[in-house]
Amino acid sequence: MSKITRRDFIKLTGAGAATLALGSLGYSTAARAANGPRVVVVGGGFGGATCAKYLRRADQNIQVTLVEPNTKFITCPFSNYVIGGMRNIESITHTYDALRSKHGVTVMHDTVTAIDAAGKKVTLKSGKTLPYDRLVVSPGIDFKWTAISGYSEQAASVMPHAWKAGAQTTLLRQKLEAMKDGGLVVMVAPPNPFRCPPGPYERASIIAHYLKQHKPKSKIIILDPKDAFSKQGLFMAGWEKLYPGMIEWVPGSKGGEVVSVNTKTMVVEGKLDKYKAAVVNVIPPQTAGTIALKSGLADDKGWCPVDPKTFESKLHPGIHVIGDASIAGALPKSGFAANSEAKIAASAIVAMFRGEGVADASYVNTCYSLLSPNYGISVAGVYRVTDKGIVEIGGGVSPKDATAGFREDEAKYATGWYASITADTWG
Amino acid sequence: MRFEKLKKILMMLIAGVAATACSTTPTPPPAKPAATPAPQMVEKPVTPAAAANMANNCFACHGPNGVSPGSIPSLHTLTANNIAEMLKAFKSGQRPSTVMGRHAKGYTNTEIEAISSHIASLNKK
Repeated sequence: MSKITRRDFIKLTGAGAATLALGSLGYSTAARAANGPRVVVVGGGFGGATCAKYLRRADQNIQVTLVEPNTKFITCPFSNYVIGGMRNIESITHTYDALRSKHGVTVMHDTVTAIDAAGKKVTLKSGKTLPYDRLVVSPGIDFKWTAISGYSEQAASVMPHAWKAGAQTTLLRQKLEAMKDGGLVVMVAPPNPFRCPPGPYERASIIAHYLKQHKPKSKIIILDPKDAFSKQGLFMAGWEKLYPGMIEWVPGSKGGEVVSVNTKTMVVEGKLDKYKAAVVNVIPPQTAGTIALKSGLADDKGWCPVDPKTFESKLHPGIHVIGDASIAGALPKSGFAANSEAKIAASAIVAMFRGEGVADASYVNTCYSLLSPNYGISVAGVYRVTDKGIVEIGGGVSPKDATAGFREDEAKYATGWYASITADTWG
Repeated sequence: MRFEKLKKILMMLIAGVAATACSTTPTPPPAKPAATPAPQMVEKPVTPAAAANMANNCFACHGPNGVSPGSIPSLHTLTANNIAEMLKAFKSGQRPSTVMGRHAKGYTNTEIEAISSHIASLNKK
């Protein structure tokens, strides 16, 4: 590895030349980084894309290669509004063009099939091998397909999960559109921990918003193995106000745990009751993305233990695991948290390459949920690292008795947040 | 709320010690405070790298380098003083907000100043 730092480079070439080289010409930055330390980033979602970008933003000497199978990324945030018919899928689809052209990230559309932690290299589906000095793994989640009897990858074509955005999102939308007025929608909520804690309940709200206008005789039942959920008080008060009698939540203590589903009869069997549904949305129990499990980065529960200050794996030094796949203390599994973790990991990696001390970490999360297009609620948190790991030191949920104007402002800011975070991640 | 008040007084006292420019007579730290604020909320110096770590989180809502493409206000046109004053007012509740009050309570005044300076310094580049 070359020892030429950016500072040295400026010294060597003179500040004027450095300014030219730092211009928007992609080839000059790429050429200059040819001998810098190498980081491979696995996964181009909120975690991976942000980390790749912020590594280059902090130090253009670092060679960053992002490996992501899809040429476009469709976000889970705002996918509920596609399901509700308020947005189209294009509006939640992002490309990697800016990461390449503006930030000098090498983006490869390929799949990492193996990680060799000892040899510091990854193998791709195409057969290529990529050596690295540090690896960032941001694989998101995968499903425990066999956890619910009758559910499977095939069953998801009848009972969509829509918990990875894309074709599944569109499929759930189509099923809701095809449903007759009066049909029952059953949602199967997952046990903790899972991606996007308020997500299932926002989805129920937005589906109710659609049903109220187009299928007012229909109802939604949420079968939940849990007895509590994120922003519960705010959601339930909002449902009462906006959709009285339309959404029924069955908690675990009242038989909410689902035993089996049948894609032929469309019957969902809970611990106490059976439900004959017109549309079923099964959000299965989850683990860290498969590559993390295959590479020995996860514990026996299927999630990845990391150093809370750097997100470096506790099981494989030299590898950082960020986003939903990691065990991040009080931080939720959200796109926002992944973006925040990615920045801290990038900052730590830069410091490590320079032989400097890692600066104090600070994380933030804000999750907006819409109950209708002009009724928004939020949960916000500021997080620091203590001897107990990552803990929340400030934050909270929207006030219980806020005005209609407050809810409207939060709905407006939800949309603003989406524009900002996607620009911060992929722009 | 009594605890909040106590915390505020305590933080003002500690801030008095930390402040270099404003305080004329350094206040000795309280010998044995009745209620100790969370260790993270004690005023202490912030390194530039730690300030950058904190400030980078702002861009998820306020856009890259504080340039917002949507309905959330941009930060890039504000001075360090503007940002710090606003954050402190959000923190105290003096300035109403939807979410900023909840965020601002997670930072000491020293951190607020360091974050604000960092964001303002980016704009001039």
